[in-house]
Amino acid sequence: MKLSGFKYLANQGIENIWKNKMMAFATFCVLLISLLLVGGSALFYVNMNSMILGLGNQNEVAVYLDPSTTQQRVDEINLELQKMDNIDTVEYISKEEAYKRMQNQISQGKAIFDYIDGYEFMPDGFSVTVIDNDTIEDTTAKIAQISEVQSASSSLQVAEFLRELRRVVSLIAVAVIVALAAVSMIMISNTTKASVFARREEIQIMKYVGATNAFIRTPFFVEGMVTGFFAGAGAFFITWAVYRSVFRILMEQGTLMRAFGVGSIIPFNKIQLWVALAYLVIGALVGALGSVVSTRRHIDV
Amino acid sequence: MVELQNVSVTYSSGVDALNNVSLKINDGDFAFVVGSSGAGKSTMIKLLLKEIDATSGVVTVNGYNLNKLKKRKIPEFRRTLGFVFQDFRLIPSMTVYENIAFVLRVIDAPLKYIRKRVPYVISLVGLHAKTNSYPDELSGGEKQRVAIARALVNDPQLIIADEPTGNIDPELSYEIVELLKGINDQGTTILMVTHEHDLVRHFGGRIINITGGEIVFDEVISGTSDDILPEEELAQTMAQVSGISTDTSRIAIPAPPVTSTEDALIDEVIAAITGADQDGGV
Repeated sequence: MKLSGFKYLANQGIENIWKNKMMAFATFCVLLISLLLVGGSALFYVNMNSMILGLGNQNEVAVYLDPSTTQQRVDEINLELQKMDNIDTVEYISKEEAYKRMQNQISQGKAIFDYIDGYEFMPDGFSVTVIDNDTIEDTTAKIAQISEVQSASSSLQVAEFLRELRRVVSLIAVAVIVALAAVSMIMISNTTKASVFARREEIQIMKYVGATNAFIRTPFFVEGMVTGFFAGAGAFFITWAVYRSVFRILMEQGTLMRAFGVGSIIPFNKIQLWVALAYLVIGALVGALGSVVSTRRHIDV
Repeated sequence: MVELQNVSVTYSSGVDALNNVSLKINDGDFAFVVGSSGAGKSTMIKLLLKEIDATSGVVTVNGYNLNKLKKRKIPEFRRTLGFVFQDFRLIPSMTVYENIAFVLRVIDAPLKYIRKRVPYVISLVGLHAKTNSYPDELSGGEKQRVAIARALVNDPQLIIADEPTGNIDPELSYEIVELLKGINDQGTTILMVTHEHDLVRHFGGRIINITGGEIVFDEVISGTSDDILPEEELAQTMAQVSGISTDTSRIAIPAPPVTSTEDALIDEVIAAITGADQDGGV
């Protein structure tokens, strides 16, 4: 096909949107709703995951050393911990620091400190965070093997709960997204079928005058692609507006919400490029393919 | 050229639509195909369009052996044909110009050629003033003339017209057949299926009668269109028909029946055609 021929067919596709504007609008709406359903679910899942991971990061391993450990040995253990697998951060907490923190935490019963003679009784320690929360148990066991370590503990129950929560949320999210995608495909398929059915005679006439299948399908392809592209753009702007509003509301809830991991919600500007790309590409692709596949039934004359 | 050699078509329902039909239509011929509803005319048209395949026998059209024609070659084959249908089959979303130009777009014809050829063909069928009209804005006769222009634009070797006068006023039928006759005079083979006895009687020529899936009559008969209207009167008729004036020097109107042995022969043929007005289509 010559370039001029392709340009003609592409123009035909764009003109067809206007000529069949009611059907094009129906296809646009169905694509928009489908993209919002699937895209919204995917974003919800990504954020849930991020929130759970955020909660998991608060789950640190508390390491306490034997009070007789020398400062030189403390420094060596610090380096040793940093070199271990699955360690994200290592924070040294001196006797003095530990004492201060304890004082801050026990704000209600400060009188008790009148009976304590300095901080010397406190052990040196480390606050260690892990990269993969799923293997925190193994990491804790490894830290405990260091001879000067008196105790290494993590909230294993919390880690276990979060792991289970992530698994359940992932399963539900995948099931919901797959179901919504399937429903969307049925809706899109029916709409494009109806759109093509309304023009079946046109397709048959084209066949009678010797048009090849590619010649007939190209305008439908362009038409579906452009409609899908605009539906993707529409879905992006709606998502952008809703996401920003929800984000702002949640952030205004302050520290309490942060305790539930809401602080881990991903700001939209960090993902907007990917969201836009996904909406536009998937919209254009589904629109184009839906349109072309629907011509199959009428093209065989 | 169209050639059917011992062609039979049996549908999956068990109906024998064509039974051992042999037929040859040479280049430049004009042939009427007549027959009652269910006689097998539509089946023959479908065969020639490669819409269906023969159960047995050989179908050759414009040098293509349709029995052996691969699916991907069908568009190429159909470009050697022109079709005119009873229901016009114009694309409603395209103007007269676009409907006709579409055929040339399909073959990737240069834009310059399209811009030259399409207006020429439109003027041939006398629809210059309707170039930018949509099919919905045209009368039945005008739509059929657009369909003829579309069939003609690609300069096909063969034009198949399936009941081209079936959906238009009887007085316009003659005009449509005259147009086809004019095209035939330029060397294009025309195969026209019709129910209208008066047309066959008037124009004469080769008449092929299909009955019960078999060719029962295939003869050349002289027409009765000897009387040519005076030019002024003809121009007036055309103006009534299309609202425009055209070169009408070759257009004839039906003459009163003449009693002759030839006419008796035509009557015999027409008697064989059962006289149904609508083709149910087998």
